[in-house]
Amino acid sequence: MDLVQVRNLSKSYPDSVQGEIIALENVSFVAKAGEVFGLLGPNGAGKTTALRILATILQPTSGSVRVFNFDVTKQADYVRHSIGFVSNNTAIYDRMSAWELVEFFGRLYALPDDHLYPRMEKIFRTLQMEDFKECPGAKMSTGMKQKTSIARALIHDPPVLIFDEASLGLDVMVARALQSIVMELRDQGKCIIYSTHIMREVERLCDRVAIIYKGKVIDSGTLEDLAERHHQNDFEELFYQLLMLGDKVGSV
Amino acid sequence: MNWSHVKLIFHREVRDQLRDRRTMFTICILPILLYPLMGMVMMQVAQFHREQHVTIGVVGYENWPEDFPLITEVENDTIRWKKLLSDDSLVRAFEASESKRKSTDVFETRVGSHHQSNDPNAAEKLLRQFESDAIVWVPPSFRESISRDSMVILSNQRWERSQLAAKCLNERISEWHAHWLRSHLKVSEIGAALMDPPRVMQVDVSSAEMKRAIVWSKILPFVMLVWALTGAFYPAIDLCAGEKERGTLETLLCSPARRREVVWGKLLTIMCFSIGTALLNLASMHTTASLVMSQFSGLGTGDMVAAMGPLPLHSMGWLILLVIPISAIFSALALAVACLARSTKEGQYYLMPLLLVGLPLVMLPMIPGVVLSPGTSIVPITGAVLMSRALMDGEFMHALLHLPTVATVTVLCCMLSIRWAVRQFESENVMFRDSERSSMTQWIRNVWRQREDTPTPNESLLCGLLILVCLFFGRLSLGGMTLSWMSIVQSTIVIQLGMILAPALIMATILTRSIRKSLRLNRPGAKELVATVLLAISLHPAYTGFASLVGAEYKLGEQTTSMLMQFDSIIAAAPIWSVLLVLAMVPAVCEELAFRGFLFAGLQHNNGHIRAILLTSLLFGLSHGVLQQTITASVIGLLLGWLAFRTGGVVCTIVFHCVHNSISMLLVSFSSCGSVAPQWLTWAIESSNGQLAYTGTWCTLSVGVAISLIAWFASQKSIAESLQAFGQHATQKSIRSVPNLSRGH
Repeated sequence: MDLVQVRNLSKSYPDSVQGEIIALENVSFVAKAGEVFGLLGPNGAGKTTALRILATILQPTSGSVRVFNFDVTKQADYVRHSIGFVSNNTAIYDRMSAWELVEFFGRLYALPDDHLYPRMEKIFRTLQMEDFKECPGAKMSTGMKQKTSIARALIHDPPVLIFDEASLGLDVMVARALQSIVMELRDQGKCIIYSTHIMREVERLCDRVAIIYKGKVIDSGTLEDLAERHHQNDFEELFYQLLMLGDKVGSV
Repeated sequence: MNWSHVKLIFHREVRDQLRDRRTMFTICILPILLYPLMGMVMMQVAQFHREQHVTIGVVGYENWPEDFPLITEVENDTIRWKKLLSDDSLVRAFEASESKRKSTDVFETRVGSHHQSNDPNAAEKLLRQFESDAIVWVPPSFRESISRDSMVILSNQRWERSQLAAKCLNERISEWHAHWLRSHLKVSEIGAALMDPPRVMQVDVSSAEMKRAIVWSKILPFVMLVWALTGAFYPAIDLCAGEKERGTLETLLCSPARRREVVWGKLLTIMCFSIGTALLNLASMHTTASLVMSQFSGLGTGDMVAAMGPLPLHSMGWLILLVIPISAIFSALALAVACLARSTKEGQYYLMPLLLVGLPLVMLPMIPGVVLSPGTSIVPITGAVLMSRALMDGEFMHALLHLPTVATVTVLCCMLSIRWAVRQFESENVMFRDSERSSMTQWIRNVWRQREDTPTPNESLLCGLLILVCLFFGRLSLGGMTLSWMSIVQSTIVIQLGMILAPALIMATILTRSIRKSLRLNRPGAKELVATVLLAISLHPAYTGFASLVGAEYKLGEQTTSMLMQFDSIIAAAPIWSVLLVLAMVPAVCEELAFRGFLFAGLQHNNGHIRAILLTSLLFGLSHGVLQQTITASVIGLLLGWLAFRTGGVVCTIVFHCVHNSISMLLVSFSSCGSVAPQWLTWAIESSNGQLAYTGTWCTLSVGVAISLIAWFASQKSIAESLQAFGQHATQKSIRSVPNLSRGH
């Protein structure tokens, strides 16, 4: 079941210097339930813009984007209930504890108390957050913040989860823990859109990937398909070659 | 809107702010500590002032009448006297000059010579030499001729102590003189009662409570508003720019709360802290001041100080009522402005201009003589402050009379500010602005490459502001010219062509591809032109009536009135064809091409016709310089803007403006000549008090004609069709501009 459908998505911004910046141009991909879909690309490729559109934070200039079969423009309220968004910026309130933060978002999702608190306890236990649940955001380590962020995104049990460079700045231990959480969520049947720069992570987690470069999808498919198509088993090397190829095509 | 989301966000934000030590210090702790500390310092300073003495040196005290001494031994006297002995060098100098007839001249020459010797501290040196704050010199013949020979008091007005010493000395001499005169009158058997002024019994009908309210009503609204503005600043920056900086805003924006709900939640929080800060400051200042002043009144420091007792409760209630809408305006404005910032540091830069705009509106009611009137009630914030002052003073009927205007203006301002804040939040460009790249050449190249047939709204606004700045400096530099017909012609041509038309024309040439479309030069039909002429004629009586009302409400100064009278007499003496050309035709063409042409063309983008009409009329009004003209021109500008919108161009408005100006000029010209209305026009114009004025019949009739013509313009199918065609053309243009945009990369 395609939980995320992106068709011919384009996004441009007005710019005082250049007149207009085209961040995305005719981007298309689908992501299914129970899979981790990797959205890869160098810095400034347009990954965050695409994910922000999926999360209804930005509006597409043209094209169609559906999440859980809801249109991100016309049915934004339903889309927001269907997603959990974890960004690279850990986005934790400094003066709120992990417990308070997750509780606040749970209430925004209108979860009743008898459902909210057992779920919070379960999530805090699963993510091993019980030790720091009363700790204010300002005093949390990066790993703690990221776990809190994931707990916040999971509180309403959304079918689609978006991770935007979520492993950035995490140490090996926490990064591994994050990977296990993602795999567990995939096994639960969630659709996960995962954006990262770390190719080892892609190899470990992603079932299918789309590589975005300068606002366009330059290739997509399973890792095996890509390796076969480009005769390259080292994914980092393959990624690099694709970007170089993209540069050459662009310059011609 | 889901109010449970608003409530949740509000609770979270309030809790967050209450946990922030910096915010709490600025908003809660500072006001509680500030005023008592200030009061303490004031008490100590006042104590110091009461206890300080001044030293006055007296030269030639032996010349003073012995029977009536100036220097008396009084306990706790503020003056310490210092008799300067004859072996002092200064005294010797006086004695040496005694042989000369005008010894005071010698003294002055001596002091003067110190100044002339390029030693600016000469006077100071003299005072320092004798360790005195002031020196008084008694002339040798003083005892014999008290009224004839003058004493000299040497003081240094740069020193406060010296100023005080001179003041004390003058008072003491006056007292002494009264005593001396009284004694002499007694001796001469003339009743000493002759010296007493007539007895007047002062009866004040206001109660002590009311007097206290009046004193406080002048101070507290100002203090409260300044703190309401300041109290909105820090939470607004933290809740918007701070959240952007920390990345938490993004999380909130993809939560189920809609942007409008997020804005309301944050707005209510900011309002809460703005009101809290204002009230805490108010309470703290009021309590401290009442206590401090009661101390002073106990020491007999004066009626004003004694009147500053505690404020009556009902007055406090009015103040609290005032702070709610004002805080709402300030909070929404602060939130909208803070949205523009990417960081807290940037937010502080953006909020400073808001303070600069807000403060004059708060300061205006402090100006003596500014009271609640129809004129002041329409000024945002100022009207509300004056209203609360009237209520505090117990003038309920007066306040009630202006309540509808003040309430409408305040509610309108609140709504506009909140709408602006919501729009800022909904704008991707504002919420997700990237860091600025400053490449001027690239920007200029882009502006040139991207220019369209008509200007952008920003270019139009820039042009409007440029015209206002040019007019400001132009009028200042032309202000010194002598008033004559030639100077009027010169200044009108320079202002109209150089300062109003030229900026619009230059910008249309450089920034757009089509001057014709930028200036909205169209070709209206004959029917429209005739209707425009009739509309201008039929609306003129209503305009004249409105201008008289404005003139009665906002009285012109004496200088301006006399200048206007002089101006009218010059016009009357000038050839009528030149008056019509210079004062009717030229302004009509230049102002319309600029305001209803270039400015309107840019501001009406994206169906912004209402925006274009409102802003062009406001800028048109402001371009007139004098307040009375600004108001009338703004109102007539609304009609001109509507006409420009309905007719799709600027030609009809030029015709309207020209006819309107011509009628005004003809009336002024003929009135000043003392002419009477021609026989065939007596049904419309009559002479009253030597002035030509419209008859009541024509005034009534003209309103009906004007309404019919406006209805005709509103219902014109052909115009509507042309507007639609214009809209289609604009759409095509925007489609065409897409490849242009992509060419930029």
